[in-house]
Amino acid sequence: MSTTPRILPKGVSEADFDAALARFREILGADGVLTESDQLAPYTKIMMAGDDADYIPSAALLPTTTEQVQGIVRTCNEYKVPIWTISTGKNLGYGSAAPGETGQVMLDMHRMNRILDVDPDVCTALLEPGVTYQQLYDHIQEKGYKLWLDPPAPSAIAGPVGNTLDRGVGYTPYGEHFMFQCGMEVVLANGEVVRTGMGGIENSSSWQVFKWGYGPYIDGLFTQSNYGIVTKMGLWLMPEPPAYRPFIIQYQDPEDIEEIVDVLRPLRIAQIIPNAVVIVHTLWDAGTHVVRKDYYDGSDSIPREAIERIKADEGIGEWNVYAALYGTPEQIEVNWKIVEQAFGASGKAKIMYGEEAEQRGGGFEYRSALMKGDMNLQEFGLYNWRGGGGSMWFAPVSQAKGSETKDQTELAQQILGKYGFDYVAEYIVGWRDMHHVIDLLYNRQDPEETQRAHDCFAELIDEFAKRGYGLYRTNTEFMEQVAGTFGEPLREVHKTLKNALDPNGILSPGKSGIRQ
Amino acid sequence: MKLTRRQLLQNGLLLGASAPLSLGAAWAADSGLAPSPVHGPIRLYGVDRSATELGLGLRQQGWEPRYEGRLDPLALNMLPAGSLATGFTDEAGLVLLTSLLAGRGRVLALGLHEAGRHRLLSHRGPMVEPLAVSAGSWQAALGREYARLAQVEGVGRHVREVERTPDAATSATELSFLVRL
Repeated sequence: MSTTPRILPKGVSEADFDAALARFREILGADGVLTESDQLAPYTKIMMAGDDADYIPSAALLPTTTEQVQGIVRTCNEYKVPIWTISTGKNLGYGSAAPGETGQVMLDMHRMNRILDVDPDVCTALLEPGVTYQQLYDHIQEKGYKLWLDPPAPSAIAGPVGNTLDRGVGYTPYGEHFMFQCGMEVVLANGEVVRTGMGGIENSSSWQVFKWGYGPYIDGLFTQSNYGIVTKMGLWLMPEPPAYRPFIIQYQDPEDIEEIVDVLRPLRIAQIIPNAVVIVHTLWDAGTHVVRKDYYDGSDSIPREAIERIKADEGIGEWNVYAALYGTPEQIEVNWKIVEQAFGASGKAKIMYGEEAEQRGGGFEYRSALMKGDMNLQEFGLYNWRGGGGSMWFAPVSQAKGSETKDQTELAQQILGKYGFDYVAEYIVGWRDMHHVIDLLYNRQDPEETQRAHDCFAELIDEFAKRGYGLYRTNTEFMEQVAGTFGEPLREVHKTLKNALDPNGILSPGKSGIRQ
Repeated sequence: MKLTRRQLLQNGLLLGASAPLSLGAAWAADSGLAPSPVHGPIRLYGVDRSATELGLGLRQQGWEPRYEGRLDPLALNMLPAGSLATGFTDEAGLVLLTSLLAGRGRVLALGLHEAGRHRLLSHRGPMVEPLAVSAGSWQAALGREYARLAQVEGVGRHVREVERTPDAATSATELSFLVRL
């Protein structure tokens, strides 16, 4: 039997922490300060291959206003209490709602959930960080606006502000979220509030339509960083198109990935296919609704023979391309002919849309919903694929070129195979880049397997970096290592900025490997 | 496996006029249930025998389990503050459940029940029931333990591992939870 003693922030005495908590209660009220273990338990749930003991918060704070956030950071400065900020806390593949290290106080922004403005004419929104995609979707439906969102896969419960600040992606033409962000309100570590872009102009009507403002553009400094706490964010919404045609293209051979990407790239760059296309491997496509042990019970990587059985049983390909066309019916017909011609040239592709695609197995239904900004939670099914609650998303970036894709796929499969894990992966194709997203699924209840997953992830980072592939995002356990792959000069700049903006190091220490 | 009507009746989980009171009373007499619930309702989630047995254990300790079917964590948001919920779910359900409770509720206890062992995490002090099958199923014993923890006021995180006696479904891993919104 084991028990856990009281957790304190690193370097903070019990007396100082109690004094800080008393101040937090003055600012937030008693119900805005959580300290009991059963209240903090949800903030300790991690899925990455780290030690549970390294990710336990000392308290959680639940502000409802920007002024309260200002009061919190002033108190943190006084008592040197480090806080770790989350918005809705659903960054499940990248650290969940847990702190960056044990003892940090969670700053949970989910109660700051006001939709401050949605403008149906210029198609913009201004939101607080606790707003969820579902909440915004419901608001738009209620108002009858013809606007679409761009949610990530675990969409309903996640939020646009947090996802954009972590530079997440979605699946509509607005899939690169930070590209469609416009204007922020940020509480700095000293308690001051700054508005970026046009937000500094009093009564500006262009805060959500003109990104750049005047002078250096600084919005990017507050993404994947710990330089401030974003309390409001503007974003652009996609006008609902007159027509929409989601489709799927299946390829059956592992080597086909090279052709897929080379055919797709010019169509993406020319915006014939305007959305963030996903090329989904068999195991991801099946893993959202199939359990691994139904096909293979070994502790090593699932063999080719089992993958072929899944493909046959589920009616899915080795690679499954989900994309869509948007516009008027006439535009769609023209673009559809171009797509058919491009993908049909080699004779390898099976192109489907409408009823034929709907009748096929795999994820067409939920992918079609995502590509038009509708909510679903289908991808949570991946956590049942192997079981045991372990999941880490490894997400290197490459050019949208077949040769790079082939190289990345082979390298990933080789390293995952060495450690006995499955290649559960997809490529998300941007305008010119690709995010290769691999869900390293493992059993966290097994210490040996967890250690193996840790070693595997670390090797993936290093080996991909050696070939010139860096990660666009990672979980808290590996932020330091990933930051190291981007080189010391960049880290020095990050550190210099940190020291200038947050001299006491109270804001999310260690986020993206950035510390004082 | 879905719960059969008979199983639902056995544990008083089928509500409304379709559950004959006399039949329910007869089952209650056979199962060592408390004569009438004294602690109030508790939402019960799950779709197989484990949920049935968990409900039995809760009723034996005077709770009134209300069977809700498969866990939909999003539906928990609709429940009034202070509501208790328990049951079994899968990995995806547990991830969603714990995630949604952040800042909104309390995790009183979690259980990992796998081949050879039960791993029990309590935030309401130590778990004391051995989950022995001598007094029925381990799930019913877990229900009695969760019934007790639901009433404990003191807090404190305790982890305990106990041997899982081999049974018919001994290789199946199950995840249980007890939460308060």
